[in-house]
Amino acid sequence: MADANAQDRATEIQRVTGAEPVVHEDLTVKWFLLSSVAYFFIVGIIAIIIAAKFVWPELLSTVAMFTYGRMRPLHVNGMLFGWLLACDMGLIFYLVPRLCGVKIWSEKLGLATAALWNVIVLGAVVSLLMGWTSGLEYAELPLPLDVLVVVAWIMFGVNIFMTIATRRYQQMYVSIWYIMGTILWTAFVYLTGNFATLFATGVNQANLNWMYVHNAVGLIFTPAGLALAYYFIPRSSNLPLHSHKLSMIGFWSLAFVYVWTGAHHMLHGPISQWLQTIAIAFSVMLIIPVWAVVFNLFSTIKGHWHEMGENVPLKFLMSGVVFYLLTCFQGPMHSLRAVNAIVSKTDWIPGHAHMAVLGAFSFFAIAGTYYILPRIFRTPLHSQPLAQWSYWFFMSGGLGFFVTLWLGGFWQGWQWNNPAIPFIDTVIALGPVWLVRFFSGILMFAGIVCFAYNVLATALGEKKALEA
Amino acid sequence: MLQKADTNFGFAVGASLLIFFIGGILTTVVPPLIDKTWAKPFSNSDPAKGITGELKPYTEQELKGRAIYIREGCTYCHTQQTRTILADTKRSGWRGVDSPVSTPDEFVYDYPHLFGTKRTGPDLSRVGGKYDMQWHRTHFRNPRDLVPGSVMPPFPWIAANEEEFQAMVAYLQTLGRAKNWRPDGDFEK
Ligand code: HEC
Repeated sequence: MADANAQDRATEIQRVTGAEPVVHEDLTVKWFLLSSVAYFFIVGIIAIIIAAKFVWPELLSTVAMFTYGRMRPLHVNGMLFGWLLACDMGLIFYLVPRLCGVKIWSEKLGLATAALWNVIVLGAVVSLLMGWTSGLEYAELPLPLDVLVVVAWIMFGVNIFMTIATRRYQQMYVSIWYIMGTILWTAFVYLTGNFATLFATGVNQANLNWMYVHNAVGLIFTPAGLALAYYFIPRSSNLPLHSHKLSMIGFWSLAFVYVWTGAHHMLHGPISQWLQTIAIAFSVMLIIPVWAVVFNLFSTIKGHWHEMGENVPLKFLMSGVVFYLLTCFQGPMHSLRAVNAIVSKTDWIPGHAHMAVLGAFSFFAIAGTYYILPRIFRTPLHSQPLAQWSYWFFMSGGLGFFVTLWLGGFWQGWQWNNPAIPFIDTVIALGPVWLVRFFSGILMFAGIVCFAYNVLATALGEKKALEA
Repeated sequence: MLQKADTNFGFAVGASLLIFFIGGILTTVVPPLIDKTWAKPFSNSDPAKGITGELKPYTEQELKGRAIYIREGCTYCHTQQTRTILADTKRSGWRGVDSPVSTPDEFVYDYPHLFGTKRTGPDLSRVGGKYDMQWHRTHFRNPRDLVPGSVMPPFPWIAANEEEFQAMVAYLQTLGRAKNWRPDGDFEK
């Protein structure tokens, strides 16, 4: 059963063997999806405000709650945990039961998890705006919320693992490994970043913090996103996965290599040189898992690229794969000392980070959402043209954002390396870059609006379909 | 061997955790055991061994200022590390004197650490002693009054709250002063 079209075969097996067909209720999926899309929209507004503050620093600046330093962590946490992780979880609740040929272990537990997740996100909004923060980047949430995250993660993990344990097919598809990896690694990565850091100070704490930050992307969003890509690319194109062996190489090398690289966030900084060198060596090795995955996914679609035109999920997926490749090429390059001396701490970095989180992983999540919407709500997608529009808004806004920040950041880095240029001149020089970034943000937000409206209208369409 | 992970649930779980823990432990638990400077506060009274000075724990007032720095998210625009890059030591420098690079032993009392990742504004690791009270007051009220073109937000609620303002500046004046690399009271105007 080593391909994502397992579900069809499952139905086939059921038909032949006369076993009860599995009917999925997908209530948990719906709750996670709808709330995550709502946060995507709300946090999108915050994103635009902080982009505007770079151009008009006086904007909303006299209200403590809306100062840049409080809204930025809200933007980051809101997008990562309110939108992306919640959407990933919803999609995982969709695909695990299907890949296992059974119902979700407990729909009730799933709904409780979704409810708790919403409590956490709303708690985060309040506490971050009030300035109640741990002060550690990406781990800003105050301790009580961290504890709730752990509880929610255990509830999620138990549900998914029990579903996998009761699966009908012995062989586990690649997506299942990635999901298991996500759940297990996240548990330890999160504990390191939010609890182990309580017992350390200074550089030691920073090292734990960067281990968490780096692996929040590398061992939470990457495997979750790849689980989606490995499932939805074959599903939405109706093609079998190119190579099972290659997917194994990708998975196991990711598991081994990623966790070593945290210290590359402090290159040239006050942290032991040998640790920096280790981080650089492993960062370069990241090219292996990335290339294994990307080659596999490209080969799957080989000869069928033209189908992307009409197929919105496939379009998002394959663009996501391209962005994934680019981000993961940039990453190892940044870790080289010579490159790092230019780009580190500049505006290049948000350009890079947005390509990973928006360009790659959010594209996968959006694709998955478009793909499953008609299936969970049992009604056609509200509007195909609107979905196309959302793609082009995300794509143009995204590219505008990434490319201007790379150019701007690189330029900024060169200026910084010439101490004859006063710092403030390097700030003023970036003005036009920040203006373009702001307008790119508006385009991206237009993408969010089209996407969110389409999701909502499709969900409401279900009601109409039932009433009619 | 990995073929086994395809079908065997327990094996897949065990192997993915084991592989993860090798790197996890070697890069988080082991380094502070090897490099003692991560936990030993900077202290040197012998000029022959390099720059002198001593890292002192923060006072209550300085900690209060630090808490405000965290609350307002200054760290999202300001780093606190003079890196081993020539331009960094020049930019953090003072009247033609390059600043020393930051070392782990200068940050032992930092909880949480505030190294930062982004320089929208200049690095603050050596800003202690650079500006006087009056400069900071004006700057917090409106940075553009002092530095036209700045994108730093104004913090009128800090400037208006004498206790918070004093604490904030007390904290800023400690930054980078564990090492005796510049004289006291020689402020830029
Ligand atoms: C949106 C980004 C941003 C935030 C948030 C921010 N700053 Fe700044 N800061 C800047 C910029 C840009 C400059 C350089 C221009 C200037 O001096 O205003 C600067 C300059 C400074 C300087 C002068 C440094 C020097 O060497 O000349 C100090 C001190 C400072 N900021 C402290 C703070 C403190 C304290 C906070 C939090 C309460 C803070 N900043 C928040 C962007 C920011």
